[in-house]
Amino acid sequence: MSTEIDVPYLYISDPSFAMHSEAVREARERHWYANTNYGFAVLRHEYVSTLLKDTRLSQGSGKWPDHNGVHSGLFYDWWTKCLLVLEGEDHHRIRRLLNPAFSFRHIEAYVPRFEQLATELVDAIIDRGEFEYVHDFAEPYATRVLCILTGIPESEWPTIARISSSIGLALGVTIKDDLPEIDNALAELYGYAEALIVDRQASPRDDLVTRLVEANRAGDSLSDDELRNALCLLIFGGMDTTRNQLGLGMQTMMQNPDQWELLAQRPELARNAVEEVMRMNPTTTWVTREAMVDFDYEDLHAPAGSTVHFFTQVSGTDPAAYPNPGMDITAERAPHYGFGGGMHHCLGHFVARMDMTIALRTLSQRMTNIRVSGVDEWMPDSGNTGPVYLPLAFDKR
Amino acid sequence: MNVSVDRAKCDNHGQCTFSAPTVFRLNEQGILEYDEKVDDSLRADVDEAADVCPMQAIIVTD
Ligand code: HEM
Ligand code: HEM
Ligand code: SF4
Repeated sequence: MSTEIDVPYLYISDPSFAMHSEAVREARERHWYANTNYGFAVLRHEYVSTLLKDTRLSQGSGKWPDHNGVHSGLFYDWWTKCLLVLEGEDHHRIRRLLNPAFSFRHIEAYVPRFEQLATELVDAIIDRGEFEYVHDFAEPYATRVLCILTGIPESEWPTIARISSSIGLALGVTIKDDLPEIDNALAELYGYAEALIVDRQASPRDDLVTRLVEANRAGDSLSDDELRNALCLLIFGGMDTTRNQLGLGMQTMMQNPDQWELLAQRPELARNAVEEVMRMNPTTTWVTREAMVDFDYEDLHAPAGSTVHFFTQVSGTDPAAYPNPGMDITAERAPHYGFGGGMHHCLGHFVARMDMTIALRTLSQRMTNIRVSGVDEWMPDSGNTGPVYLPLAFDKR
Repeated sequence: MNVSVDRAKCDNHGQCTFSAPTVFRLNEQGILEYDEKVDDSLRADVDEAADVCPMQAIIVTD
């Protein structure tokens, strides 16, 4: 007997669409995926875990400029060749050459620098009793971490932040109108990247860019252009994501003050706190794939070319994978997909995990009773989210 | 050398297959398969795979 499956429907382009909503929870309970106005949405943990890595699905961001009327220019050439959109052997070759420089072993060496930075930023506000979390902490922290990592002088962080938000306009549907600003910003970022490469080729140091310059496997190495493209991608891909995730982390911690106090008493739990925050409140609320061929899985039939979204917050709170889905920084959990998965799994996750661990640890050691003290402002819930403006008050510990 | 992967940690991302493709591979279902006894000539590749694994699931012993 065949039964008609009642597949839920979600209208995800509505500005008021919310991941943390009864409608989405109800959809997850009814079925493992939903139809949406923009492709399919996979909702359950078990299915996200399996299908996110399916090689019949490509990363799918590559066609974005073309979809929006942009077919040439500096940004176009960069974007359509960068790691995030490459597939198959072209992707694996670059990824293989980049991966070792981002290994836990190498990133751990940056811990003292990140700690110093977090302390400096907290020192500057600790006697004020209030601050604007995004501009006083999350943005300078995330940007300066990338400066430390790439060897760009930290004093230049405001320029890097400006460049990155200009390039970020490329993510919007107004990409075509914004193209001159986007291309100019990318040209400026190329300047930084090229100068770094030339410098480290002439005088190697014990740092990330030197390791990338010297990366070599079986006679294969990155060309200067490939290296420049990769440096620009990691500056661009590592900043807004980290800033936004730090904002969402603070939101989740404020909603769970008992967990904040526990963290203050047991700072060694900070690493786990980062995992819990990303599981329950990820900045990348969905990771997207595109079907390269007609894609069939159980009752899902996604024709070639269709979009499949993997809802990370929804799968991260799925009671089937997390029987007690509330925040518990002492719990051992199934992995979340806030860093994506499979061959495109975030290259910078050890950096992000490490710097956010240090940020949460430092803040919890110094501040208590943190609360919103003014009118906060947030991005919509689709794709990549986080606070734009988050005024906070706190008591000094 | 001996290679083992902690299945409780491994999440089948396949990053190890880029570093040491003759030792690690994903099967048709996308599940990691690997050789447990590996020639020492591949030590550098296998060490790299263990280093870059996002879940830090690979254990290499002599
Ligand atoms: C909390 C901060 C971060 C979040 C939430 C995040 C999230 C992600 C996600 C969701 C993807 C796509 C994965 C997929 O499609 O399966 C990704 C890819 C990537 N991320 Fe991150 N990321 C963060 C920080 C960073 C940092 C700090 C860097 C660089 C230092 C970085 C560099 C990259 C790169 C280069 C890719 C493309 C990898 C590929 O296609 O092979 N990310 N990240
Ligand atoms: C100039 C650089 C970038 C551009 C133009 C760009 C473009 C886009 C576009 C067009 C979307 C889809 C939005 C939608 O479908 O509603 C998107 C989403 C996303 N991008 Fe990027 N992206 C850039 C850099 C990155 C980097 C470096 C990462 C990795 C860290 C990243 C990770 C993501 C993620 C995780 C999403 C949300 C899920 C998705 O729709 O794929 N993006 N980006
Ligand atoms: S890289 Fe690590 S998590 Fe990924 S398949 Fe290999 S062992 Fe498993």
